[in-house]
Amino acid sequence: MIVPDTIEGALLLSLIDFFLSIVMISGIGIVLALFPFLNRLGKLDDDAIRQGHH
Amino acid sequence: MLEQLLSFAQSLKNQTGLEQFWWGNAVMIAIGCTMIFLAVRKGYEPLLLVGIGFSCVIANVPGSDLILPGGLFHYAYQGVALLVIPPLIFFGVGAMTDFGPMIANPKLVVLGAAAHLGIFVALIGAKCLGFTLNEAGAIGIIGGADGPMAIFVTMKLAPHLLPQVSVAAYSYMALMPLIQPPVMRLLTTRAERQIVMPPSRKVSRLERIAFPVVIGFIVNLFFPPVAPLITMLMLGNLFREVLVTDRLAKTAANDLMNVIIIILTCAIGSTMAADRFLTVKTIEIVVLGLIAFLFGTASGVIGARIMNLFLKEKINPLLGSAGIASVPIAARVSHIVALRDNKENYLIYHAMGPNLAGVFGTAISGGIMLALLGVK
Repeated sequence: MIVPDTIEGALLLSLIDFFLSIVMISGIGIVLALFPFLNRLGKLDDDAIRQGHH
Repeated sequence: MLEQLLSFAQSLKNQTGLEQFWWGNAVMIAIGCTMIFLAVRKGYEPLLLVGIGFSCVIANVPGSDLILPGGLFHYAYQGVALLVIPPLIFFGVGAMTDFGPMIANPKLVVLGAAAHLGIFVALIGAKCLGFTLNEAGAIGIIGGADGPMAIFVTMKLAPHLLPQVSVAAYSYMALMPLIQPPVMRLLTTRAERQIVMPPSRKVSRLERIAFPVVIGFIVNLFFPPVAPLITMLMLGNLFREVLVTDRLAKTAANDLMNVIIIILTCAIGSTMAADRFLTVKTIEIVVLGLIAFLFGTASGVIGARIMNLFLKEKINPLLGSAGIASVPIAARVSHIVALRDNKENYLIYHAMGPNLAGVFGTAISGGIMLALLGVK
């Protein structure tokens, strides 16, 4: 166990976890903000995909 | 002749569980019946509570072979213990979920982490009550309001707490329409609740297909401890979005999901034997779970209000409480609370963004927790 099994350990674990969670999920948010650029690669037509050629 | 009859009756009695029956069994049977009642009469999570309630009743009938090695409920539990069932649930959830609202509004994604303060409040509270840090972590994850993730993390950290944690998590998820609104109203003004969100942009097919692939990559790279769950969530979603595997997506979202729910509910209910469940620890876990939900709701709303300090175009702070992972219950609660103050304020689509992000928020919190506790 990296974190000690004490109340101080619980506080430390919580602080690190909460902070890192916000950082990581913000990172996912940033990646998602870049998604519209994918559309520059072209457009996929739903009907064409279903019919097996696009 | 009489002696033979008495001996015969005695041996029959010995084969029943009558002698082992104690008041704890009666209490748990009443709890099981209450679950079935709530599902049938109140409509609270019937797909879960009927199976859990019934298997809870059976688990408290002394002598029932179903929960012993060789019994069907025992093998159902092995699916949970070996961590096969939770990823399969996520597989089905992925196949039935439209992640469009999350992709369309990435700035709301951070609310999926903000609404998880409850996890840590419950964790610290549990530690103060004398639980080990691993047990406290399992109890804290109730605040993520994500049943499969709670089961997954609990099985890794404190498997002996599975019945209490899973029952608390699923019960509070069912009760969210009662738990969340008072906190949401307390922390927002009427004017804030009336904020109407602008329409979201349309998400293209290419983005929808790229999403599960990209997220699957990120999660396996950064959060291997919880990767099985999110990977299966993304596989299910990929089956849905590519449009050429409709059969698989439909099977994952319907037939397979139904089978898994049956197995899961039997497994959870069968662990609710009175001697394990009727303890002071259970009451403490139930109270901590409620605290986790309350703080999670509050931190989500406050997180949204903090975001508004920096945003030119303000967001409705009710979206914050949707950051709790329970999909789509938390989003629906945000929508309903907003509707009370403005009959034309349809928040549901916008609330689904943080709500889905909450699934990732819980997974990330759980993954970091497992890593910090040295559990693989």
